[in-house]
Formats: sequence, structure tokens, C-alpha cells
Amino acid sequence: MKIRLVNILKTLAFVCVAGLCVFGATVVLRDKDSEYKYADFFDRADQIDVLFIGSSHVINAINPAVLYGEYGITSYNMGGHGSIMQSTYWELIEALQYCTPKAVVVDTYMLQKDYKYLDEMYEDSTDEDRASSVAQLHLNMDCWPLDKLKVAAINDLIHDEEIKKQFLVPFYIYHHRWDVLKSNDYKTLMGDGDRNKYFGAEMRYGIELTPGIYGDPEDDNGLGGHTIGEEYLRKIIDECQRKGIDVYVTFLTCSASVDDKRAMDSARIICEQYDVPFVNMQNMGVVDLYTDLNDTGHMNANGAIKATKCIGQILADSGDCADHRDDPAYGYWQERADQFYHEIYDIAVTSDSVYQQLNYLAGAEDVSTILYINDGSQAFGDSEMRTLIHNFIVTSTIYHTDGPYIMIKDAASGQVYEASGAQALDGIETGLGTLHYQPVEHLFRFLYTDEDPENNLLYDDSKIDYDIQIITYDAQSGEILSHNYYKSYGCNYTKG
Amino acid sequence: MQFVSLSFLLLLPLAAIINFIIPRKFRYIWLLVISVAFYLSIDLKAAAVMAGTVVVTYASALLMEKVSGDGSKKKSPGAMAILAVSVIIEIAAMLVFRSDKIMGAIGISFYMLKSVGYLVDVYRGDLKAEHNFCKLALFVSFFTQVISGPIERAGNMLPQFSYPVTVDFDRMRDGFLQILWGYFLKLVIADRLAIFVNTVYGAPASMDGSIVAIATLFYTFEIYCDFAGYSAIAIGVSRILGIDVMKNFDSPYMAKSIAEFWRRWHISLSTWLRDYVYISLGGNRKGTVRKYLNILIVFAVSGIWHGSALTFLVWGILHAVYQIIGFVTMPLRDKVSDILKIDRGGLSHRTVKTVVTFLLVNFAWIFFRATTLEHAVTIIKKSFEFTPWVFTDGSLFNLGLSQASFNVGVAGIALLITMDILSFNGVEIRDRIIKQAIWYRWIIMIAAILSILIFGIWGAGYNASSFIYQQF
Repeated sequence: MKIRLVNILKTLAFVCVAGLCVFGATVVLRDKDSEYKYADFFDRADQIDVLFIGSSHVINAINPAVLYGEYGITSYNMGGHGSIMQSTYWELIEALQYCTPKAVVVDTYMLQKDYKYLDEMYEDSTDEDRASSVAQLHLNMDCWPLDKLKVAAINDLIHDEEIKKQFLVPFYIYHHRWDVLKSNDYKTLMGDGDRNKYFGAEMRYGIELTPGIYGDPEDDNGLGGHTIGEEYLRKIIDECQRKGIDVYVTFLTCSASVDDKRAMDSARIICEQYDVPFVNMQNMGVVDLYTDLNDTGHMNANGAIKATKCIGQILADSGDCADHRDDPAYGYWQERADQFYHEIYDIAVTSDSVYQQLNYLAGAEDVSTILYINDGSQAFGDSEMRTLIHNFIVTSTIYHTDGPYIMIKDAASGQVYEASGAQALDGIETGLGTLHYQPVEHLFRFLYTDEDPENNLLYDDSKIDYDIQIITYDAQSGEILSHNYYKSYGCNYTKG
Repeated sequence: MQFVSLSFLLLLPLAAIINFIIPRKFRYIWLLVISVAFYLSIDLKAAAVMAGTVVVTYASALLMEKVSGDGSKKKSPGAMAILAVSVIIEIAAMLVFRSDKIMGAIGISFYMLKSVGYLVDVYRGDLKAEHNFCKLALFVSFFTQVISGPIERAGNMLPQFSYPVTVDFDRMRDGFLQILWGYFLKLVIADRLAIFVNTVYGAPASMDGSIVAIATLFYTFEIYCDFAGYSAIAIGVSRILGIDVMKNFDSPYMAKSIAEFWRRWHISLSTWLRDYVYISLGGNRKGTVRKYLNILIVFAVSGIWHGSALTFLVWGILHAVYQIIGFVTMPLRDKVSDILKIDRGGLSHRTVKTVVTFLLVNFAWIFFRATTLEHAVTIIKKSFEFTPWVFTDGSLFNLGLSQASFNVGVAGIALLITMDILSFNGVEIRDRIIKQAIWYRWIIMIAAILSILIFGIWGAGYNASSFIYQQF
């Protein structure tokens, strides 16, 4: 009997040790995307006042770090790549187990999707579409622990029993990751894995130069029926209203197709039915389609700053969301906000892309800009380039000149100066000093300050071939931060 | 439910605990319940065929016993007629119902041979007919063997149902180690190599020659690991349940001749064929020519048993031809060895024989794996195109396996060869492990569990649940 008891205890001990090792393996091997995105959500769920839910449009368009920096409102971006309404609904239900937000902002992109299961989609969907749809759901679902709610969510979203297994027991799919493990996978075992810096948001820094412009639908009746997307939007509103949470429905600016515009109409109709605000940013002129999109569907960081400020103002005006900026307990949020602005600052100063640099300099408040384009530059034939320059200044000079052209934006004084052709600038007061600009000939021009007249800022023998120069200097100190040279080839630019 | 399924892994401990708790004399009933449930979970319709087989086997054996009366070795024509009719029914049922076009009854080739073997044993008087229907039903349907064997003998199994052994801790531990080894062979090696082999064999004409040769080499190990893996799991599970099942593989690729290979490969089938076909045909008692003819017949039967395609028949006959050539040339080989003063017991000579045997077996597997004879011929032709750059230009890693995964497969093969060499030289590896200190044992077992879970080919995107021999 004693031997039997010892053997039972040994077996139990072995099961425990083996179980611990297997658990460790599951932690190391699991895909980290979901916990990367939601790490701060779980750590700071009790501080979150607003949840942003929706698709990747939300991920890229709403930056909680900006919202905090501007309004002191704490929020989390719960958007999921490819997340259609039913995925968004379950994302919210899961999140509400951990936090009690004062407001939920739900975006309605893809409201027109009218299929029930993500692994089936439409009859004519390709296998790649279905695989992608399932893969994207992992970002939304992997972070939640296995419980009754998660089982209900997966049963509602996935039809195939085999595919369900990879959501209920993620190791079922992730044990294959052994040959792609990186240091972060092991760091997670010690609890210090990488985490999203901006509370679930992902910032993109490209520019969509040619967004598609589509016509309006023939009527404003929306999708004209009851799509699955509409059904789940109603469920989201119902759930929030039942719990006393304010709901804001949005449509975030993108290169909206006719179908998207029908979805906007449907969202508006549903909002009217439920008496909730519908913020259709597409029609508000907040975000510039030509400078603020990363691609036709998603905003870049510039657009995100504008969209977030827009929503932030609405939330702040509602008076339900407190400004926590003076509360030391929320210092972490301020750190993240500062980090984001620093990132934008770096891009504005050091970017290798002329488009990107101009785009972020236009909105920069603590960096001043000097832009010079030599006469004959192909940049004058580049409409996107001219649009970006026009963002700095209200005049239309850039559209009517062949150069040379200079534009000086002095952030400290808030003044913007420009000159084109043979025009000179004389004695303008800037953070850099008192500036003088004088074009002389094709390969030579003067730009100097009274304080340092020997230093011609726009001439360098070794860069004589470059037709575009961008000089940045600190708005306060006047210290030159960067001096970038670009050469234009049609609409392509290489940095020197 | 399959051996490689979560439900099986969850239910096995439960089955073992209940088996451990209930009185020994009733254990066979519990094992029958599990076996019936296991088979029903796989194929409801095929269960009817199995039930029919059990009834025919049970009734035929009792009838033969009744007709034979005094149990004398000289059998009556009545008993012979009953045997003939029942065997014909069962073989016909096997040939008909195993066809995918009709039913594709899983495991039918295995349990039918068990039943036929039992009937012949009863007819020969080597075994008394089993009067307990449940025990006979359990013998035929025993769940660890029903899918892919081993093709056990009633003389070994039925007494264990009547007088089960005590299931102690050592037996459980031993069975557990065997199960781990089985899963390692199946999931880490066999299913990994299968990805490469399937890709290459799917379009051999478009592959570099050396890649095709490597794929054939991989298939040689794939089929071994797949089948030996299944057998190890079956034997391990049986052991945990208190049943000792015969060994099915014994380092087959260490064999120094084709005849020895068949004493080490699928032992339960080759001994079955020897006992119930070869010996019935006269074996080697009726002259040399008849012996060679018998070998040809036995291996042709083996080929047909594996499948109705012509490739299986060629594979079987090729093995018979290998052996006949071996017998015919033996005097010549002996003479050459004497003249050259070759030390036949020396390591180099034994190694050469092992390598030659392995290459012959490897060549024959091409026919076993190919879908048609033309396919096999294409593979053979391509295999002789020497394209050594595939080892350095990275093309090996574009055939379904990444470089890391490929390396795991090769490392698995190296481990398998090491284990087989040790086993071949009489080292009982499991015994050695069990005799080690507890922490050492635990490290080995946990490492094995983690290896299977991490490196195993299972889960989403893979169908690792079926074993190659399940189709036969």
C-alpha cells in the first residue's frame, strides 16, 4: 500500500513537472501579436475610459497616446485587422469582462459584410481569403483566456470544428513556430516581452498619393436590408446601452467606395434609430485624402493625429471622460504620448522620403522648415509634391512657378515665407536668425543669416546636382537639426 | 478516434484507471467495451462487417470443434469443409470490404488475418475453440491492434483475457515510454519526411535526380517510422492495460540479408504468412524448386494483401526474387569469400551486407510507394541522375520542409539508427532508462514529450491522424 501511494505521488509530481514544462513551451511558442497588442490593456484595464473598436481602420486611425496627450482621456485601441462586425462585437464583450469604459467608439467600416462565419465567408471567396480571415481573427482572440465566453465567441465566428481548435487551444497551431522563434518569444516567459507602445494603435508613415475617388450611391437608404454587419452593430449598441456606456459610431476617412458609402448610410440610419451620435469623418473634412492616408484604406500617422483629435474633442465635450493629465497615477500614459510625439519629430527631421518629411514637417510645431527647389526641377511637375508643399502655406505660388522656389516655415513665430523666380527674401526674422535669400544663377543662390553671413546655407559644392533641399531647425533654439538633399527623377526622389 | 488524436490521449488514462480498478476477471469485458467504442467511433458501417466476422469466426470454430469430436490431430472432412467455407467467406469479405469503392473498412486486413489464423489453429488442434463469445470478440476487435496490427495469435491473446496480469507501476512506466517512442517516430520523423516525400513523388519528373533518390531514402525511413511508431503505441497502450502484444519490428534495417529483414520487419505478418501459408504449401520440405515457388507465392500473397495495385505485387515478388537469388548464389558467394579470405564475421563484411540489404529494400520501396508502374519507372530513372548540387543550392529546402525542419528530420533518422544499432546489439534501451535515477528518467521523458509536442507534425494544417498501414 505504501509503495502504491509513493508511486501515485511520484506520478502526480511527474504530471505537474511535465505540465509546467509544456506550459512554458506554449508560452514561448505562441504567436505574440495578440499579447503584444493587448499587454497594456490587461495591465491598465482599470484606468481605461474609452474603448475604440472596429477594423484595421481603427488600428491606424486612432492613437490613444495622442488622445491622452491632447485631452488626458485614457483609451485603448481594440481594432483588429480584417475585423468585421461580429468579430468586433465579441472583442467588445471580452474586453468588458476586464474594464468598465465610460464610452465605446465603434467604427463601421465593413458594415456591409454579410456572411456569418469567418472561415466560410462568401460562396465565391477564395481559400486565401478564408485563410487570411481566420489568421486575422487570431489577433483579436488569442489574448483572451479559454473560458465559456471565448468558446461562445469562437462557436459564433467559426464554423469548422477543426479550425475552432486553433482558437481554443492556440498551441494547436503555434507549436510549428519553433523554427521562427526570436528573443522576444523567450522574453515573454519572464514576463517582459515587447508590447504595443500606443495602447493597441499601429501608426503607419507612408502617403497614399493617388487615393481613389468614387461616386455616391443612387439613394441614401444604405444597405437596404439586414446584413450580418448591421445586426452585430445593433448588438454592440444594445450591449453598451444596457450597461450604461456611451456609444459613438464612426466612419473613419478612407478612399471610400460606393459600397462603403452605403455602409455609412446604414450606420447613420441605425444611429438615428438608437439615438446615438454618428461621426462620419468622411464628410467632415478633418482628414485630407491626399496627405493623410497611408494607403487607400488606412490613415497614416498624420491622419491619425487629426482623426484622434477630432474624436477627442467630441469625447471631451461630452464631459463624461475625465482629463487625467494631472494625476500622477496616469504618468505611464503621458510617457507614451511623449514617446509618440518624439517619434513624429524624428520622422519629420530625419526621414529618407521627401514626401514623408514634408508631410510631417507641415504639422510639426517644434521644428521649423526651409524648403528650396531649384529652377527646372521635375518636382514642379509633381502634383503630389505641390499638394504637400501647399499644406504649409495658403498661397498658391507653388502651383504657378518653375522655380527657383523657397519656402520658410518658422514654427516659433508661426510665420511662413516664400519666394519664387527672381524674388528675394530680405531680413526675415526667424528662430535661426535674420535670414536673407537671393537667387543668383541656376547653380548658385544665397541664404544666410546676419549672425553668420559667411555660411551660405543653400550651397554645397558636393551637392550641386541636387535640386531639392530641406533644412530643419529647432523652433526654440534655432539649432539646425538636419539638411537633406534630394534629386528628382519624374516623381521619384533619391536622397543624397 | 485515432491514436493521434486529443480524444484518444484524454480517454486513454481514463480507460487505464478503470481497467486498473475493476476486478481482473471482468477486465476483458471492459476492454471489449473500449474496443467496440473505439471502432464505432472510427466507422459505424464497418463495425457491422467486424461483427459479422466475429460471429462467423466464433461459430465456425465451435462447429469445427464439434465435428472433430475427440480432438485428434487427424481432422474430419467436415471440419475441413467448415474451415474452407469460413476462410473463403472471410478472405472474400476482406477483399470486398477493404475496397474504398465499396466500404474501405478500416483494419479489416488485420483482424481478418487474426480470425483466419485462429480458425486454422483450431482446425489443426493447436488451440481449443473459445466458448466465451466476448473473449473471442475482444481478440478480433482489440482496439490497440484493430487498425494496423500487430496481427496477434489467439494462442497468445486469449489466455491473457482469461488470466490478466497485475498492472503495476513498472509496467505502466514501460508502456508509457514505448508510447512516447511511438509518437516520436510517427509525428516527429514519419510525418515530417512524408511532407518531403509527397512533394517529390507528386512530380518526380520535374525534380533533380538526387532529390528523388533522397525522397526514396526518406520514404524508407518514413514507412518504418510510421508503422513501427504505430506498433510501439499499440504495444505500449496494451501493456498499460495489462496485455502483452508481440513485437512487430526488430531493427529491420540492420538485417544482413533479405530473409533476415523479413524476420525483423512486420514480424506479425511475416510469421503469419510463414505459419499459415508457407508451411501449408509445404515450406522447404518438398525440394528446392518448390521452396522457391513457395517463397514466390508467399510474397505475392503479401503484396496482394497490401493492396490491389500491381505495384504491390511487384514489390512482393521483388522481395521473393531477392531471396531466391540469395539462395541460388550462396555457394558462389561462399566460394568467393573463401578465395578472398574474407572474414565473414568481421565488422566491415557485416556492414557491407547490411548496406546492400538496405539498398535492396530501399529500391523495392519505390514500387510500394509509387502509384503506378510507370510512376515507379520514372522515379528509378530519375534516381540515377546524379545532381549533387542540390545539397548546396538550397533546393532541398523548397520541397515542403524548411532547412530547420529538414534538419530535424535528419536528426530524427540519426537517433532512430542509433537506437536500432543499440537494440540490435542487445541493449534494452527502455530497461536502461528505467534503471536510471528518477531525475534522469524524468528529463528523458519530459524531453520526449516536449519534442513530440514541439517538433511533431500535428495540429492545424496537417493531417497526422492516419497511419500508412491503416489503408491495408
